[in-house]
Amino acid sequence: MDIDVTYETQHLWTTWFAIYLYFGGLGAATVAVTFLTDMYLKPHKPLVLWGALAGVAMVGGGSAMLFIHLANHVAVIYVLNPLAIFIKPDAWIAWGTQFISWMMIAGLLYVLPYMIDSPFLGRLPVAGALLRTGLMRGIGHAVEGSRGHQALGVVAAASGIGVAVYTGLLLQSFPAVALWNNPGVPLLFTVSAFSTACAFLMLVMHVFVYHEEDAPLRKLYEYVDLSLIAVELLIVFLFYMYLTRGTMSARVSADFLFQDWGWLLGFIGLGLIVPFLIELKEVLSPGNGRGYSRLSAVTAAVLVLIGGFLLRDYFMAAGIYAYPT
Amino acid sequence: MTRYAMVIDLNTCVGCKACMAACALENQTPIWKNVWRTYVHDYEIGIGDDVHRRFFPRLCNHCETPPCLTVCPTGATYQRVDGLVLIDENLCMGCGACEMACPYRARYELTYNDIQEGKNFYGTLQRTSPGYDKCSFCSHRVDEGRKPACVETCIGSSRMFGDLDDPGDPVARLVASGAAQPMMSHLGTRPHVYYINEMKRDYINRMEGDV
Repeated sequence: MDIDVTYETQHLWTTWFAIYLYFGGLGAATVAVTFLTDMYLKPHKPLVLWGALAGVAMVGGGSAMLFIHLANHVAVIYVLNPLAIFIKPDAWIAWGTQFISWMMIAGLLYVLPYMIDSPFLGRLPVAGALLRTGLMRGIGHAVEGSRGHQALGVVAAASGIGVAVYTGLLLQSFPAVALWNNPGVPLLFTVSAFSTACAFLMLVMHVFVYHEEDAPLRKLYEYVDLSLIAVELLIVFLFYMYLTRGTMSARVSADFLFQDWGWLLGFIGLGLIVPFLIELKEVLSPGNGRGYSRLSAVTAAVLVLIGGFLLRDYFMAAGIYAYPT
Repeated sequence: MTRYAMVIDLNTCVGCKACMAACALENQTPIWKNVWRTYVHDYEIGIGDDVHRRFFPRLCNHCETPPCLTVCPTGATYQRVDGLVLIDENLCMGCGACEMACPYRARYELTYNDIQEGKNFYGTLQRTSPGYDKCSFCSHRVDEGRKPACVETCIGSSRMFGDLDDPGDPVARLVASGAAQPMMSHLGTRPHVYYINEMKRDYINRMEGDV
């Protein structure tokens, strides 16, 4: 039937949901990158401790943001049920919840032996006492050095990748919004999740666990982040082309985004282009990472992290619905 | 097999909103916050002094491929074999994904406060837990062989309810003839609410007659 259509944004999933998407993607990708680094590139307990604990905290915090916005908090048990993905295999939230749960469980088990060995954590009043209990030590020793430890790392890393992809797939499920209902969204969100994760780990390795011998690893993260920002810029350009030549819903989203200084200067300018140029200068500098300007590396990382949040906040706000009038 | 559908003739809808009232009482909708399972929108067609007010009742479209169903993570939203898309309130955690997915804005949230308010407003409330809600085509009435409350109360006989799989059913014939069309079917939802929309043609005919 021929009807009039109005184009309007939604007011249900706003900034709080962008926080969930941001911390979900960032935290999960951080766990995945640190565990893959520890297992296959360079064993690095301090980095894993930072990556795993910060990653789990971020995903947990993001999930809490979603939880407090639920209308019925008791019924959440149905989506925490591991069988949820068999009951509702077509629902991305079911998959995402399972990815988040297994990433957190496997991630904490993987890092438990490192936590027990950590002098800093051992000195903490509650956490230290907990880590010294026989149960924790027993689990830690059972996990450490076994093939199960690597299996836990693989499960956590794979689940982390799943969480990063899921955040985009969730938005893709909504057919009335042209900005979201396309395969570019999961791609963009996944690339952004891993870019922000690399930025976060660069920040950690420059500020909290700075070791001279980690220079090649820092440079590798910078290389990867640089490549991911380049891909992200390309995807944003493709979105611009798609939106400005698409349906009315897409065109209204394009107007919303590409006529807004926050998106243009904040996200694309300061969140992508400036850190891209800083990191390009860094990776092109000689010395395999030694003699880096730590300030510029930290600046680039902070800008990428801010840009990652702006991307998701603007994406939620610019989701223009085509509703019947 | 039975596939239920509704046809709404926009030419005979007089905008009395009796359907909204009947539905609200039948299904105890949270009308204290102006939220309804079915709503009669109105708008104007015309220019100058020749302006006509028209009415456009809307409700859940009970889509054959409902986006609200696929996004529901707990299985709270489900589809019966007769095509009715329903909600199991006990399974609904109220994440809002269904509301985000619905292109017809047919779903609404019931909070803990709404449950309490509903008890005060209606005396007793069928719904006992918060979550999301929407039109059920009055499945409880349909199961008893009766029509949905909005259809039964419609004074202009604008709303018709029937079985698409029964070739003799007036609703099936209207849909098969093409006289009744679904709304925003380009989204791939295959809605089971159809509209007869002759008003614009009438208006253009009258305009051409004036010239």
